[in-house]
Amino acid sequence: MRISRRAAVAAVVLATVLPLSACGGGSGADSTDASGKVEGEITFQTWNLQANFKDYFNGVIADFEKKYPGTEVKWVDRPGEGYADKISADAAGGTLPDVVNVSPDLVAPLAEAGIALDLDKAASKYREEYLPEAWASHQVPGAEGTFAFPWYLNTGPMFYNKRLLEKAGLDPAKPPATYDEVFAAGLKLAGASGGKVAALANVPTIEDFGRYGGALMNDEGTGFAFNDAKGIELLTKYKELYDAKALDPQALTATPESSGHKFLTESVAMNPGSALDLANFKKQAPGLYKNIGITDQVSNTGKANMYVMGVMVNAQSKRKPASVAFAHYVTDATRQMEFAKQVAIFPSTAGSLDDPYFTEEDGTDETRVRVAAAKSLKTAVNYTPVLFSEQMKTELRNQIAKALQGKQSPKVALDNAVKACDRLLQQS
Amino acid sequence: MKTPVTPSTATRPTADGVPGPRSRPAASGPGAPGGSRPGRRISRHLPLSPWLFAAPGLLVVGAFSLYPFFSTLVNAFTDRRTLVPGTFVGLDNFQELLHDEMFWIGLRNSTLYVLGVVPALVILPLLLAMLVQRQIPGITFFRSAFYTPVVASIVVVGLIWVWMLDDRGLINSLLEAVGVGKVGFLSDQWLLLMSAMTVTVWKGLGYYMIIYLAALANVPRELHEAAAVDGAGAVRRFLTVTVPAVRSTMVLVAALASVSAFKVFSEVYLMAGPSGGPAGEDTTLVMLVQRVGTGLTGRVGYASAISVVIFVVTVGLMLLVLRADRKEDA
Amino acid sequence: MSILRTTDAEGRRIPPWQLVLRYALLLLVLALTVGPFLWQLSTSLKGPGEDIFSSPPKFLPSDPTLDNYTRVADTIPVWEYALNSLKVASANVVTNCVGAALAGYALARLRYRGRRAATLAFILAMLVPVEGIIIAQFTTMRDLGLNNTLLGVLLPGSIGAMNVLLMRNAFLNLPQEVEEAAYVDGANVWQRFLRIALPSVKGTLAVVAIFAFMGAWDDFLWPLIVLSDPENFTLTIGLNYLHGTFANDERLVAAGTIIAVAPLIALFACLQRFFFRGVGEGAVKG
Repeated sequence: MRISRRAAVAAVVLATVLPLSACGGGSGADSTDASGKVEGEITFQTWNLQANFKDYFNGVIADFEKKYPGTEVKWVDRPGEGYADKISADAAGGTLPDVVNVSPDLVAPLAEAGIALDLDKAASKYREEYLPEAWASHQVPGAEGTFAFPWYLNTGPMFYNKRLLEKAGLDPAKPPATYDEVFAAGLKLAGASGGKVAALANVPTIEDFGRYGGALMNDEGTGFAFNDAKGIELLTKYKELYDAKALDPQALTATPESSGHKFLTESVAMNPGSALDLANFKKQAPGLYKNIGITDQVSNTGKANMYVMGVMVNAQSKRKPASVAFAHYVTDATRQMEFAKQVAIFPSTAGSLDDPYFTEEDGTDETRVRVAAAKSLKTAVNYTPVLFSEQMKTELRNQIAKALQGKQSPKVALDNAVKACDRLLQQS
Repeated sequence: MKTPVTPSTATRPTADGVPGPRSRPAASGPGAPGGSRPGRRISRHLPLSPWLFAAPGLLVVGAFSLYPFFSTLVNAFTDRRTLVPGTFVGLDNFQELLHDEMFWIGLRNSTLYVLGVVPALVILPLLLAMLVQRQIPGITFFRSAFYTPVVASIVVVGLIWVWMLDDRGLINSLLEAVGVGKVGFLSDQWLLLMSAMTVTVWKGLGYYMIIYLAALANVPRELHEAAAVDGAGAVRRFLTVTVPAVRSTMVLVAALASVSAFKVFSEVYLMAGPSGGPAGEDTTLVMLVQRVGTGLTGRVGYASAISVVIFVVTVGLMLLVLRADRKEDA
Repeated sequence: MSILRTTDAEGRRIPPWQLVLRYALLLLVLALTVGPFLWQLSTSLKGPGEDIFSSPPKFLPSDPTLDNYTRVADTIPVWEYALNSLKVASANVVTNCVGAALAGYALARLRYRGRRAATLAFILAMLVPVEGIIIAQFTTMRDLGLNNTLLGVLLPGSIGAMNVLLMRNAFLNLPQEVEEAAYVDGANVWQRFLRIALPSVKGTLAVVAIFAFMGAWDDFLWPLIVLSDPENFTLTIGLNYLHGTFANDERLVAAGTIIAVAPLIALFACLQRFFFRGVGEGAVKG
């Protein structure tokens, strides 16, 4: 009681003394100088990796500390939920760890606030070690530099239900590959089942617009452009699907989790996923597993979408040399390759995808998916623009829903979405 | 808002117990100098003791609720973002609110939520409390069991209900079996809102039941006995003894329920999804605060303006409930 | 507690038809409130070979196993996290019961200038939308040097405004006469509070205790933001790891849920016996 009261008094006193804008954020700590001796204690934060990969990370850290005597790496892992909230609080409060696991959309605001170290200045010598597209994925339009080491990549195949396809009179050996084929198959699936089986469980996202072949942003990166003719065409087709119940009626409120359930309960026939889902299907719905077919992502551009994880160095870190060295160490070819053998992810380092591990099939579903994914990654694009924030995703989603419900034409809906996203962009 | 307790009062040493009543006569109650005056409200205490009693509580809420809210109030007039300190923009945020379609949708849904949920949460838990009040065999088990929805985390509850209300879920399978056919609980904007309300009521039943049980327990049993001797039936005893005896609790429950209903977030977020149902039509005000204000790209200033509106409306709701209470008093 | 007589608290007999009706109603509500958890429990007991997404759903596991619980304990240090949660939740019970009782008594029973203002402060605090202030709270905590400590997790909720108001309400409902008698007998304010007022509101105190425990036990976002070191993590944060980045196993999630809920139900079952015993002992009787 006494302690908490005293602390509370202190809180009141402190709070009145402190300036209100305590959340100043980075005052653009300009020093990108990371040369110097690699030493000291640093903190490394990962995103939901401790539960399954404790031994791997402890091993990496031990090796690093051995290679650079005098360093000490403290590893903290955060759960999946609330990651952005925790980073926000830490960034605002100046308590962000030295080395942080990020994704491009998290890096963008941190880079703009001067909290992410520019690696083109501080670590350009490592640049050649990574795939060029992967290195570029943490560049932010409007800010000069590259703000995180690329880490693991992921892409996913399209899973489909062979039984449902066959029932609708489609060839389960030839699943739809382009959007037009998906639309045609969807109408058949819905028609054959009297609206009980849908083709897809999700409304289109920004990546769908990319893979359909439309532009997403203008060339300068100063405004969005997904309301072009291609975009409108895509949304119009989706509206046809929705009206025919070939898009699941709950699609407007779907989450990745709920659409997974839909696929597992055979309410939808196709579901985009990742190589990781395969093991999951086997566990969750063994009865369904034998009916699951695997094919490439639907794409009109011939290129798949990929997701990139990154490792950022805090520009305000007191141990920059050690932080940069560790961020590079954990993302270098050796470490990434080891990690890829633990779980179905893909290294972003140059040449790693040519390793026999990613090119030779041994007849199992796992390797087949892995080899196919690794192949598609060589040309894959991270379609989601770095500047496309959560708020913008919601704007797009809600406008799409209005178009599907018929409250607005696809054109008006997309025009509105672009307008709203542009406004959010300018405010940043 | 001025904090009623200055730190100097709060930290005054209590060890001697006699901080000199005469030095601060203003703080003392009317009874203090006069000594015993039976029949008046109890007021004999050293002038500082009420403050000492209230101090810990006031400090905690002051430091961790009111002060942070004060900064929200300030932020509402700036264009601050999570990582960008803002500048003063006057009433811009509030003007933007007026033209923000989503804001009006949120206000509508939060209001509907209060209207839908509060009556149920004032009445049903009271009936439930009376049902479990009597000491019949096994009642301990039932009481605890009815409380389980409260103790389960809302995330779990949300998942379970989404699973049950799904197109292929338990409830729709039952409805199809009896020939009603599928109901789109999770795809229609109004059904979604109603489903979320159902979950709120379901989860709140046990919570308010406990508050009522405590109140019923504090009701002197003589009142019931007297009424029973007079030959009053169950319904009459409910209306003439129970309801008046727990009326202040009913008011409290109404106040608590309306405030939390207006600030509803989790149930709708989990059932309608982060974007708030089809085309965002199920967005509530707090969901909007969360959506626009959090994350690294959050518009703290604008979200603060919405928070201020929420605060003002809940203050209004509180006053409304308290006023209704006073009217009944008269 | 072994009263098997079919009488109510007031000692009157209950007619058999009424008893049957009561039990019927009780069972109905039971099915509604507990059913979903039994479903969760059943999922947590299903083995890896069993389809948990079959439709129509199967209620009983065909081959019940505790394997999922072992796996939860293998994935995260459940006991350490539960201990942290227990520390915070127990401390929260103590601070809330003491702080809310003191403040509630001051608001309800003592007369002084500024009482209305103090009451208003608590009411306003209850109305503050938490979502908007969490970063400001974090900065305050950091300035106090309490970020990344369990004390930092505890403090903001250590005396809940709502609990203060609940206690105030309970004290207001006590008849004045009892305390006045004590006052005439020369009892000072502290004695009146401790010996007369407090024992009469045991029921509400138990409610506050339950709410306080539950609030601290279930909270996710605030501990997540305050804490950085995994060794300080609370159970809710730990269980969130079961929603893996790479795989979501519904069975594990279900087992985690049950682990999180079980202590709360147990606590409540214990406490509620206590608070109904306290009911009859109220000072009001005299």
